[in-house]
Amino acid sequence: MRGFKAQFTAECIRIARSPFFMLFSVLMPLAFYSLFTMLNGADAKIGDVSWGGYSLMSMTAFSLIGTAAGQFGIRLSHERKDGLTRLLRLTPLSTGAWVLAKLVSHLLIHAAIIAVMFVFSALVFGTEMPAGTWVMCGLWLLIGSVPFLALGILIGTIKSTDIATAVSNVVYMGISVAGGLWMPLSSFPGWMQKAGEWLPSHAYADGAWSLLEGQPAIAGNLLLLLSYGIGFLMLSAWILNGREAG
Amino acid sequence: MTGAPAVQFRNIVKAYGAKRALDGLDLALEKGKVTALLGPNGAGKTTAVSLMLHLTKPTSGEVTVDGLAPGRKELKERIGAMLQDTAAPDGLTVRETLQLFRSYYRNPLALDRLLQIAGLDKEKNRRAASLSGGQKRRLAFAVALAGDPDMIVLDEPTVGMDVESRSRFWEVVRALASSGRTILLTTHYLEEADAVADRIVVIAQGRLVADGTPDELKASMPMRSLSFKARRMPAEQELLALPGVQEARVSGAFAHLKTKDTDALLGLLLGSDWGVSDLQIQSASLESVFRQLTETNNGKEKESDQ
Repeated sequence: MRGFKAQFTAECIRIARSPFFMLFSVLMPLAFYSLFTMLNGADAKIGDVSWGGYSLMSMTAFSLIGTAAGQFGIRLSHERKDGLTRLLRLTPLSTGAWVLAKLVSHLLIHAAIIAVMFVFSALVFGTEMPAGTWVMCGLWLLIGSVPFLALGILIGTIKSTDIATAVSNVVYMGISVAGGLWMPLSSFPGWMQKAGEWLPSHAYADGAWSLLEGQPAIAGNLLLLLSYGIGFLMLSAWILNGREAG
Repeated sequence: MTGAPAVQFRNIVKAYGAKRALDGLDLALEKGKVTALLGPNGAGKTTAVSLMLHLTKPTSGEVTVDGLAPGRKELKERIGAMLQDTAAPDGLTVRETLQLFRSYYRNPLALDRLLQIAGLDKEKNRRAASLSGGQKRRLAFAVALAGDPDMIVLDEPTVGMDVESRSRFWEVVRALASSGRTILLTTHYLEEADAVADRIVVIAQGRLVADGTPDELKASMPMRSLSFKARRMPAEQELLALPGVQEARVSGAFAHLKTKDTDALLGLLLGSDWGVSDLQIQSASLESVFRQLTETNNGKEKESDQ
């Protein structure tokens, strides 16, 4: 585990210093959250919950999907292109410590994003919910972000960093919109609603919405997210092994 | 040779599809020596380096480092490598990058020492990504030395370095060599290999084509060149008629000859009535030895292809 602490610190610094981080993980989600909430009114009801809370979950999920799948994936692709992955293989740092440092640093940054979004919502739009609900929603968003890191690993296997960036943007925007994070799935045509329900982005946000409603639908959503996560990892391993052999 | 070899390549074949990057390479590197691996592009230099660093595996044959299979963790503690086309992790400063790499090793070199080696003390708080090309290469060198390795592998280390960086770099390499470290470097700058290496190994087409000290390689070159001034300059035909002379050229007051046997020729020239002065004998430059070796090898390859 030697090297883990330094690696973890370095990874945190690198995530936070990325020019994309401030813009796409913090400012943009805050801006869209504010915009949607002002347009709809924070107290407007969607189902049984207020828009201020509902959209908070959507936009936090949107931010974390972008951070975990997008920025993580693009960084991995860069590290491979820059020869950093190769260079690290020459050092005594174990692969386990490296993976763990990446994972834990991302989780810490994700937790910080959740805190910023939640505090902003409470202060600016006066969002209220029981303390337990805040905590449960936050935990769900944190744990549920892990399968998107697996999606990041998959995007990170793309050799060209330009293509990785393009794919990442299309995928993360695409699944966010189609998963109902920007506007509720109920506003889409029927077939898009049906397809959208199977997206990991929808399962992710739906878990948080259900906690808000006080009718947690955790198991099904978790199972779907887990399946996606395992699928992404298996696909990544298959691609990387194939490359090694070739 | 003192003790067991540091690195041993035994009959290594490394094939990429139909192409053989290495084709039966046998090579043993001595401990505490600077060995330069020379060869034209595509000769297999980087492949050889990758094998001993466990970045790739041989198709057949065996590589051992200190008698161990490459890639063992105890070897990673002791080997530092500077690879081609490697960038520093983005988002970190020079100091943070070096600290990160230092953290991987049990007995790292001091940060100040690494900054001094890289000549980046003034730049230590700058982002590594914003350094100039030459500075980045120097940082990569310091990164390679972070663990205070006793075996150092440098793959085309001076590519992208400016003149100043380069001379500073060789100074450090010489100092490291004199402290008993084993150094393997690949380069296509022959004068650098000549100046810094104890031993030069020339490979072409994935095979070893020459091996020796820089002086031995130069001596193995049959042709030497000899030049002199003459009060009464003979015609080129006259010079060509001298025993052993292969080439003769007169330009201005100087005559330039190429021969295998300079000793016999010296006697003849000094005994002549041409008024010979300013005699100079040069052994072949390493460059021409190298060109001859690799061209011969290419030639063979082409013939066998047809």
